[in-house]
Amino acid sequence: MKLERRYLAIPYVIFLVVFVVLPLIVVTYYAFTNGEGQPTISNFVTFFTNARTIGTFLYSLFVAVVTTLVCLLLAYPAAYILAKGYFAGKGGMLLLVVMPMWINFTLRLTALKELLDMIEGNLAMYPFLNTIIGQTYDFLPFMILPIYNSLTRMDHSLLEAAEDLGAGKASVLIKVMLPLSMPGIISGVTMVFLPSMTNYVVLDMLYNSTFIMGSLIGSYFSSYDWHNGSMVAATLLLLIVLITYIAEGGSSASGERRG
Amino acid sequence: MKRKIKALICALALILPVVSLTACKGASDNTLVLRVANCEEYIDLGDWDEDEVISLPDEEDIFGEDSMISDFEEWYEDTYGIKVKVEYSTYGTNEELYNQMSLGNTFDLVCPSEYMIMKLMEEGRLEPYSQDFFDESDENNYYIKGVSPYIRDVFDSLEEGGESVRDYAAGYMWGTMGIVYEPTELSEEDVSHWSILLDKDHARRITMKDAVRDSYFVGLSILRARQSATGSPASDVKSEKELSDLLNDTSQETVDQVEEILSDMRLNAYSLETDSGKADMVSGKVIANMQWSGDAVYTMDQADEDDVRLCYSVPEECSNLWFDGWSMLKKGLSEDSGKKHAAQAFVNFISRPDNVIRNMYYIGYTSAISGGDDQRIFKYLEDCYGAEDGDESAEYDLSYFFGGDDAAGEYVLDADPDQLTRQLYAAYPTREVLSRCSVMKPFDPDANRRISQMWINVRCVDIFTKH
Repeated sequence: MKLERRYLAIPYVIFLVVFVVLPLIVVTYYAFTNGEGQPTISNFVTFFTNARTIGTFLYSLFVAVVTTLVCLLLAYPAAYILAKGYFAGKGGMLLLVVMPMWINFTLRLTALKELLDMIEGNLAMYPFLNTIIGQTYDFLPFMILPIYNSLTRMDHSLLEAAEDLGAGKASVLIKVMLPLSMPGIISGVTMVFLPSMTNYVVLDMLYNSTFIMGSLIGSYFSSYDWHNGSMVAATLLLLIVLITYIAEGGSSASGERRG
Repeated sequence: MKRKIKALICALALILPVVSLTACKGASDNTLVLRVANCEEYIDLGDWDEDEVISLPDEEDIFGEDSMISDFEEWYEDTYGIKVKVEYSTYGTNEELYNQMSLGNTFDLVCPSEYMIMKLMEEGRLEPYSQDFFDESDENNYYIKGVSPYIRDVFDSLEEGGESVRDYAAGYMWGTMGIVYEPTELSEEDVSHWSILLDKDHARRITMKDAVRDSYFVGLSILRARQSATGSPASDVKSEKELSDLLNDTSQETVDQVEEILSDMRLNAYSLETDSGKADMVSGKVIANMQWSGDAVYTMDQADEDDVRLCYSVPEECSNLWFDGWSMLKKGLSEDSGKKHAAQAFVNFISRPDNVIRNMYYIGYTSAISGGDDQRIFKYLEDCYGAEDGDESAEYDLSYFFGGDDAAGEYVLDADPDQLTRQLYAAYPTREVLSRCSVMKPFDPDANRRISQMWINVRCVDIFTKH
């Protein structure tokens, strides 16, 4: 029986090896070699000594931070309302949140573009605003769902206990509810922060020609410069590992495993 | 369990050879396989609507029923008695083609742009056309009988490593680079300079191309215009060679200066586009768009359908003369003379005037073929762009293209005056426009690295220096 169950993992292991492990090896190889196949770190040196590429890196970080904050500010109250069931039939409300995810995101963006176009007149005038709107639009459900999950799973007697012991509404929120929903927040943040640093398709589709890290990788690859493209990808990967590691730390500190 | 897996492997081992055998069967024995790679949407694929028949005076109707490719297979068998199967594949850009070739895909006949042809020539990958191909007495040699004298001169004069491009490539489509514009917003004078793309008065209402070579060329043109005492580099120079040198400069110093110009241009642009510019022009989001002449024709046609009138301009300073040509690859042909014959016949077949018209109609670009003694292509132009009987008309001299230098005044179109700044002007520029155009040569590896980095810098966010 035990043996049988292990076989069930085979398809996924194959998938992992072919589409995750092998590409990772290829990326690492290319990142540390030059056009002649010689090992080198010059790709990294070029990247970190060029004011323009560093500028793009910082700008992407900034975009990601703002997107994450906006998503968080929008998602938390929404998730709270959903979890509390203020509306009759919260299943219906949840459906409204999840529904956009059923529609292909390029289609949604095409619609968003037309909408923004109508409101703003000329999209190109507000590149930063559009970037944030586009990214938020794309990633908001990824923030709402984990927070909603952690809020519904929360033990409500703890909130009541805090109130009984004399805590005001604000202190209940800050001192009890927020810490308890931390795992949800962290998992939401990791799902929004990193993709929004690289999700350049959103920007391309909104035509604002803003260059973020993803666009940088894309343009290296489209000029067949595998080495520099891989270098940027590897750098971002390192960042992902780092942030996930920190987030995991924060998550287990608050006493619950993520997911 | 184990036995099952073994059985599965055995079954797979049995099936695979059978599958691959049947896959090869279609191409066995006496059928020749010709692997042709072309740009996407760059040949007539047939299936026209009934009302799309092209009727020219005193000529047979022209109609694309089947694709050019299957028509060729039929024609080749009828003409030479040999069965041929064309394996047709497409690619998006020259770089993609080059990359496919590096990854091991083999083709017999490809259709790259001028700089890629020269690059492939330099790498010794191209098979020269045979002497027979240039024999004008063979009635099936439609290419050499029909190629425009102007294009023939361009091909003759372009050299790479001491060899002439004419031996390695047969012209397919050609054109210039210019600006499509909205005439109610911009005047002809405005768009007669590349620097309109930098004009702050039209900030965020102009698009530029997300293509490194073309953008570099435009940046360099603006730089040259600034450096020139008269503001027009094309009129400063004494020869075409001098202009070509001026517009093919890739030194670090020049690249740095171009970077600054293009950075400003990006900040001023509505977007960097590869395809969306056409639709944005028609919808009126942008009022000017850097464009290749063929796409310009397409954009203007589309706009006409929506009752929007757009025009085309080739800036005064200088422009880029580009062409795509059919080239045979050594590796693909591997000294198979039958294949080479079929490849050359393919080029001849699509150079037959009726097929030229079909392709031009279908893809909207301008063919390098003028037709020689065959008048159909000129008649097709009259049909498309000529003035209606009784209406006002303007003379448009295309003798340089259809007849060459000895034929001055022989091919003058009584054109619809409106066309002098529109489709006709984009599709067939005047001799005067071409005198200020230059072919852009391939970058050497060092220059390529410099310019790629420059282009990435241009698009990166500049947060440290204030613009």
